[in-house]
Amino acid sequence: MSAEVSPGRAEVVEMLATYGERTPEQVREKLDSLELAWLIHQVEQRYHAELDLDDGQILEMSTVDGAVAVLAKVMRQ
Amino acid sequence: MSSWVDQTLFSGPDDETCLHLGSPVSRAELKREVEQRQSILEGLGIGSGGTVALRLAPSLAYAANLLAAWRLGAQVSLLDHRLTEYEVDQALTRLEPQAVVSAEGTLPGGLRAFYVVNDVAVKRESGRPAETEHSVIQLSSGSTGPSKVIARTASSLMEEIARYTKIDGVPQPGERVVLMASVVHVLGLVGGLLYCLHAGTELAIPQRLTVDSILKLIAASDKRTTLLGVPFHIELLAMVEEPPRLPQLKRMTTGGELVRSDVWQRFTSRYGVPLGNMYGMTELGVIATDLFGEHRPSLMPAPGLNVREDEGEIVIEMPQSPYIGLSDPSRWADGWLRTKDAGTVSPSTGLMTIHGRLDSQISVGGLKVDLTEVEHTLAVMPGVQQAVVVFDNGIEAYAVVPDPNDAAALESALAQRLAPYKRPRAIHIVAELPRTATGKLVRAQSVLKTAL
Repeated sequence: MSAEVSPGRAEVVEMLATYGERTPEQVREKLDSLELAWLIHQVEQRYHAELDLDDGQILEMSTVDGAVAVLAKVMRQ
Repeated sequence: MSSWVDQTLFSGPDDETCLHLGSPVSRAELKREVEQRQSILEGLGIGSGGTVALRLAPSLAYAANLLAAWRLGAQVSLLDHRLTEYEVDQALTRLEPQAVVSAEGTLPGGLRAFYVVNDVAVKRESGRPAETEHSVIQLSSGSTGPSKVIARTASSLMEEIARYTKIDGVPQPGERVVLMASVVHVLGLVGGLLYCLHAGTELAIPQRLTVDSILKLIAASDKRTTLLGVPFHIELLAMVEEPPRLPQLKRMTTGGELVRSDVWQRFTSRYGVPLGNMYGMTELGVIATDLFGEHRPSLMPAPGLNVREDEGEIVIEMPQSPYIGLSDPSRWADGWLRTKDAGTVSPSTGLMTIHGRLDSQISVGGLKVDLTEVEHTLAVMPGVQQAVVVFDNGIEAYAVVPDPNDAAALESALAQRLAPYKRPRAIHIVAELPRTATGKLVRAQSVLKTAL
């Protein structure tokens, strides 16, 4: 089995849930900038990656789906 | 010419780095930026007693315009750049400034802690000169009707700067502050920008509010560094399992609510520095501090302030009301500012302890939001029959909206009216809202969830 190169939706939600000690069900589709900073750091730690995101990519990450898509694109490179 | 800016903020050496926004800015460079804005504002007819509104994101342009307007003796209204057009229009109608300075074009995306902007100053023909001698005006999310207009004089700002200088543990001349809080709001404005300019402490702002950007900025200088932010930044930094060795880091200080004890433990053990806490209000600035984390959860009132407890509420002596156009005795009366914070003051030690809000104000990433404002705004949206807004790790709304089309349009309609940080994370459309036996709307989350 090959290791995943970027987190899928469930993992993103799980990482977001660690902010504010929420359950995954409490994580909303829309992300605010605080959640986003949190998510970026979680991903960097877990995947030992350094994400160099441009402004457009950060804007795209304002939803869980958008974040999953951008991470997939950026981390595959 | 108003000289308090020159005397209090510009007295340090010209070649000293006073700001760091991506690159160092010397005091001489800052002065040049200020003088440039000053002649632009003067060209628009702004002088002593004039009025200017700044609608600028944290930026060099923001600092330059603010100081320029003050040097001209003008009164400056600060509008958060995240406010919607609607909110800005409301504010401008209310304040009627003679000039508005805003940024050209759209700002780059999120997580920026400062921006590079092209600022444009525009004259408003309907603008009126200042009616009071206040130097700065800020609007606060209000629980009923229009928002509160909070005003401070230059003396009040200078007194706050002087208070900071008397508190043990504040950043010293030659040191550095890495600021994560917004320089448009009181903690970042006075505790960051103005205090640093006064003290000869460099004020550095990270490119982005990410862990990586913050830690790199700390590491980039040998100067002893104090981190200044809000509780979210502690949580963010405390997550780093093995932070790099940062011998220059002196402490982190935050304004706002206390972080949970496990976060506090994690932060202090991982970074090996004290985590200080401050308590303040837009009306007055810093009120009490615990910069060494030794009194947690209590704080020591700042030198020169008279703080007491009145029927469970913290009140602070303040000879003049900080509010313009509002005489609400529940906010200020008889020389006392009522904080709306439940708290106690120990007669033996003088330490104060905050127990929570007495009204519906909450904090979103350090920004104060009154849930009642959100609820009232939501309630008047097309098709909304009833609404309740609560806070549960985020702003949550429950609304009765019988027409599905209205319900579908609700979120974008609300986005026209409320700045992003005030908007509900989710709007739950329900058939009816739970009520108590006496007919009052229920606000308990556990009960509201049963309506879904």
